[in-house]
Amino acid sequence: MIFLRRQIPLLITLITGLVFAGQYYVPHPASEQMLTSVTKWLQIIGGFALVLGVSSLFHVHAVKIRRKEAGWGYSFVLYVGMLGTIAVGLWSNGKEAVDGAMTAFGWIYNFMMVPLQSTMFAILAFFIASAAYRSFRARSREAAVLLIAAVIVMMGRVPLGEYLIPLSGDLSQWILNVLNASVRRAILIGVSLGTVALSIKIIFGMERSYLGGGKE
Amino acid sequence: MSIELIIGAWVATGLTLFIFTFLYKDNPLFKLAENLYVGVSVGYTIVKTFDTVIVQLIWKPIVENGEWALLIPVAIGMLMLTRYVPKAAWISRYAFAFIVGVGSGLAIPRTISSFILKQIEDTVRPLLTLIPGEGVTFTWSLLNPASSLNTIIILLGVSSVLFYFFFSIEHTGPGKVVARTGIMFLMIAFGAAFGYTVMARMSLLIGRLTDLIEFTDPSYGRPSLWLVGLTILTLVVMSRRSNSKQPKDE
Amino acid sequence: MLGDDEGETVSFTERMLKIDRRIIFLVIGFCTLLPLLYPVGLPIKISQEVRGVYDHIESLPEGSAFLLSLDFDPASKPELHPQSISLLRHAFRKNLRVIALTLWVSGTGMADQVITQVAREMGKENGKDYVFLGWSPGGTAVIINMGQDLYGAFPADYNGKPTKELPVLHGITNLRDVNYAVSLGAGRPGVEEWYVFGKDKYKFEMGGGCTGVMAPGLYPLLRSGQINGLIGGLRGAAEYETLMGQRGRAIAGMDAQSATHLAIIVLVIMCNLFYFSSRSRARSQGQAGA
Repeated sequence: MIFLRRQIPLLITLITGLVFAGQYYVPHPASEQMLTSVTKWLQIIGGFALVLGVSSLFHVHAVKIRRKEAGWGYSFVLYVGMLGTIAVGLWSNGKEAVDGAMTAFGWIYNFMMVPLQSTMFAILAFFIASAAYRSFRARSREAAVLLIAAVIVMMGRVPLGEYLIPLSGDLSQWILNVLNASVRRAILIGVSLGTVALSIKIIFGMERSYLGGGKE
Repeated sequence: MSIELIIGAWVATGLTLFIFTFLYKDNPLFKLAENLYVGVSVGYTIVKTFDTVIVQLIWKPIVENGEWALLIPVAIGMLMLTRYVPKAAWISRYAFAFIVGVGSGLAIPRTISSFILKQIEDTVRPLLTLIPGEGVTFTWSLLNPASSLNTIIILLGVSSVLFYFFFSIEHTGPGKVVARTGIMFLMIAFGAAFGYTVMARMSLLIGRLTDLIEFTDPSYGRPSLWLVGLTILTLVVMSRRSNSKQPKDE
Repeated sequence: MLGDDEGETVSFTERMLKIDRRIIFLVIGFCTLLPLLYPVGLPIKISQEVRGVYDHIESLPEGSAFLLSLDFDPASKPELHPQSISLLRHAFRKNLRVIALTLWVSGTGMADQVITQVAREMGKENGKDYVFLGWSPGGTAVIINMGQDLYGAFPADYNGKPTKELPVLHGITNLRDVNYAVSLGAGRPGVEEWYVFGKDKYKFEMGGGCTGVMAPGLYPLLRSGQINGLIGGLRGAAEYETLMGQRGRAIAGMDAQSATHLAIIVLVIMCNLFYFSSRSRARSQGQAGA
């Protein structure tokens, strides 16, 4: 049973991992055709993965409504929003506009989803200002360097800053293109090495946390 | 101006202001908008996934073009859904093993080529520049990122930061100097990142307020002005109620 | 007992350091609102990064295939929507064949709308001058699939018309036939994924647009030439609008951007002044006590 539950999945990962890592170096038409087919499959499987992610949300809030826990009214609002959008969407055949004319689904998208999502992220502007005031203090030499770099970039990237202190524009360009680029490059190389190492560990079965679903 | 646009303007403005009330205090209006946001987003994703995956990628190719091989990914996708059945959850491992195996296999050579080899290649460029007609010279311009001086600075930055993150040996002696240089480079980069994050967040707010200003237009019935007044009134009433509750508790 | 003056100064800096954050919210709100209502219009300097994308599109001959991937959702609309409008206007002005798509499901409606709007404005016809392929799940799998076989990845466009029959895609079988691709990315999948899973193997020229948060992280790609230009945030969009000679939302937002940045810089300087003042006060009190 362990063979079925653990060994076969690990074997699948090993074989698929090696095959597709090797595929990159094999330009034969058969290898390219295999890549085309399997990536097409991944698109379809990706759709199922979305369903998976969404259904857990369904479950959590359904339980809350059924048990009438604190705040269940809001879960009810969530459900109504979700089911209402699905109903309207299916009625509009999943299209926001037909020949330039907005459908009901398009109305929900433009006048509910877009404003809600935009505003959720827009209020972060206020929090970053308040956080900057409360905690952006030059407690050490490193913090002072961070602060000075931040001020230069904030000045240099707006027309008013470039107008008042033209040097800030050139300095912020140099910071971004040279200093920042070098650091980000080092981080990119380091993170990529880590990703490659993790992928190799997954393929060879040394890292099994992705399996989940079950006791072994 | 059609009626659906006017109603839409009022609904959009109302929902925007409900979320802005969070800045004063967490309140039922915000919670309502927050939960509505999650519900509508999820509903939208489900409709789009159904339309794209089921109709366009599965149904039409299989039924109209006879691509029966597409039943294999459908089967794999179904296997994935067994994750929610506790007794059969182990079957979903086959699907995840396939996805993760393919994903890792695809990623390895491409990541090595794009983010490791190409990036190192650009870091170890010649320190002298060849200018046609002038021969080999050392260019000093700080404003040109490709100049020789900047190439040296980039090389210094990349190596010192990579060394700083190498914790397998102790950072003592000359290692300490290199690590400290790395830290200084890191701080400057984080400062630049903070500056850009501020820029990004402010842009989002600017976008939102631009829309609100657009909805002060009389052709929409001035929803922004009316609803701002109504929201402030609601907040005042709510804060008076909570203030009068507190003395009662005491 | 310390003198009354010193006691008052200590409490003032302490009070200022612990100020109610809603006052800061109000300051930011005013700094954003006022310049939007009463704009000034300061000149905007163009950076090399944005010029890279603009100059390349300018150099493309008529009829070239231009791929625009609108990889963002409504959360990043204020920064990337103006970029997409300017790029589409530029592409249509140069009579390029525009192939648009999105890898972010919640951005699909927005992407469809912006393309339809700009195409109508420039008198372009769907299917003949441009196509919106829509959204497909899988992120990087879509990119690879497009690189192998575009018609396999998108058998139909967003309106359900079979892609094989569209005149605009004539002669294009996969990503190798694309002359220039730009990804406007707000995260993952975005510019990096388009490079790693797209340009690395299929060798098309590529540029990038992104939010302010992502921009510093993409400079290594820009420096190594892996992308030939980068439009960063609202500022990048404003620069592109300036190059196009058309004033849009990005240029209109620059004054508010200036005001808010100045406000944050003043707040940070003030907080540091109060901090150092209270710290030196505490130190001198400690010395007096000892």
